[in-house]
Amino acid sequence: MSLDYVKFTPGFGKFMPKEYRDMVEHGPFGKKTSVSQVGTFKEILEEHPMCAGCAMTLFIRLAIIAFPNPEDTITVGTAGCGRLAISQAAIPFVYGNYGDQNGVASGLTRGLRLRFGDKPKDVVVMAGDGGMADIGFAQTLHSWFRKEKFTTIMLDNEVYGNTGGQESGMTNKNQVLKMAPLGKKFEKMDMLGMAKVAGCAYVATVVPNNPRRVESVIKKAVLVAREIGPSYIQAYTSCNIEYAIPTDKVMEDAKTVETDRYKFSEYITDEAKEYLSQLYGYKEYLPKPAAAVTKQ
Amino acid sequence: MYLVANIDTEICAATSCKLCTQYCPEANTILYDNAAGEDKGFKYGAAYVAVDRCKGCAQCVWVCDNMAKHNAIKMEMIDQIGNTALTENVTYGEKTSSAVLANPVRGQM
Repeated sequence: MSLDYVKFTPGFGKFMPKEYRDMVEHGPFGKKTSVSQVGTFKEILEEHPMCAGCAMTLFIRLAIIAFPNPEDTITVGTAGCGRLAISQAAIPFVYGNYGDQNGVASGLTRGLRLRFGDKPKDVVVMAGDGGMADIGFAQTLHSWFRKEKFTTIMLDNEVYGNTGGQESGMTNKNQVLKMAPLGKKFEKMDMLGMAKVAGCAYVATVVPNNPRRVESVIKKAVLVAREIGPSYIQAYTSCNIEYAIPTDKVMEDAKTVETDRYKFSEYITDEAKEYLSQLYGYKEYLPKPAAAVTKQ
Repeated sequence: MYLVANIDTEICAATSCKLCTQYCPEANTILYDNAAGEDKGFKYGAAYVAVDRCKGCAQCVWVCDNMAKHNAIKMEMIDQIGNTALTENVTYGEKTSSAVLANPVRGQM
């Protein structure tokens, strides 16, 4: 529900649910908030049952703060750890059957565009590596090939953490896990490469040990998905239970992994660059002036 | 009893880097009180923990010690912290601007 075109009759606001009023009065609805201001406003995400110190939770928290128009955003998820937190937020959450999330999001996006026309309604899929690269692989790729305009975020913990530690397509080769005692036999899937081949307009990898970068990447991905085409973010969100990372070392692990094999990368099409620079003032994407010709 | 994060107001208000508020995996847990340092003559406010939401992961301790290098956060037994902030006692400013800071009312556990 957007504050821009739905206004409450004065005096009736108090009959709205407290959660909604909190978001309007003390939260980010109808305002611009940023990661650097956290702690000073009420966040959309609330208490959730995810494990202490979970990096995935931190990423979800940062991602929800970064939504450009949270009151106009719908999240879609599926089975996995992430949905335990995503569903505990004061914005609508749609639960797709396992693997269906990108199919559900496709229909949802199209429906919202029919219903609301040019009013921006953002759909953001957040699901794990199992739901996206294994079981939901076909639906994920097909939504990209169809150029469905929504954002897909993979919460890549490189394991089926919710069911006891089975290997997923995104697990690294030779990784030994509780339910993969001989080690994984194959390479980690190149979902980034596939996203580019399938036509995503914005593709990025990110690790949550840099909150402002997470914010920047999510904002760009959601904005690009409004007009240009699908966007894909792959976020390393370690499972401290299955990978036995002490909770106070989760950020140290994130830093090591980022340096080692999960470096920040960003791919953006020329059309998306032009869109972001023209409509949203992203100066880094403005065409660079031609170099001055040096006189002989 | 269990451990929760406890932030030293004086050390925090001297620098006010706000890194712990950004790195906590729990939402609405490490909050920021702009008036916390005023009484003691500090320019900035300080972060504080809503202890009923803290799961005791100590990520904020690592961030404060290793990234900010302020050593302002310690894990302490919840019954040994004098004044604790509880979520139900946390109120926010009247204005809806994001510049308005949280105004905690501290109570005994």
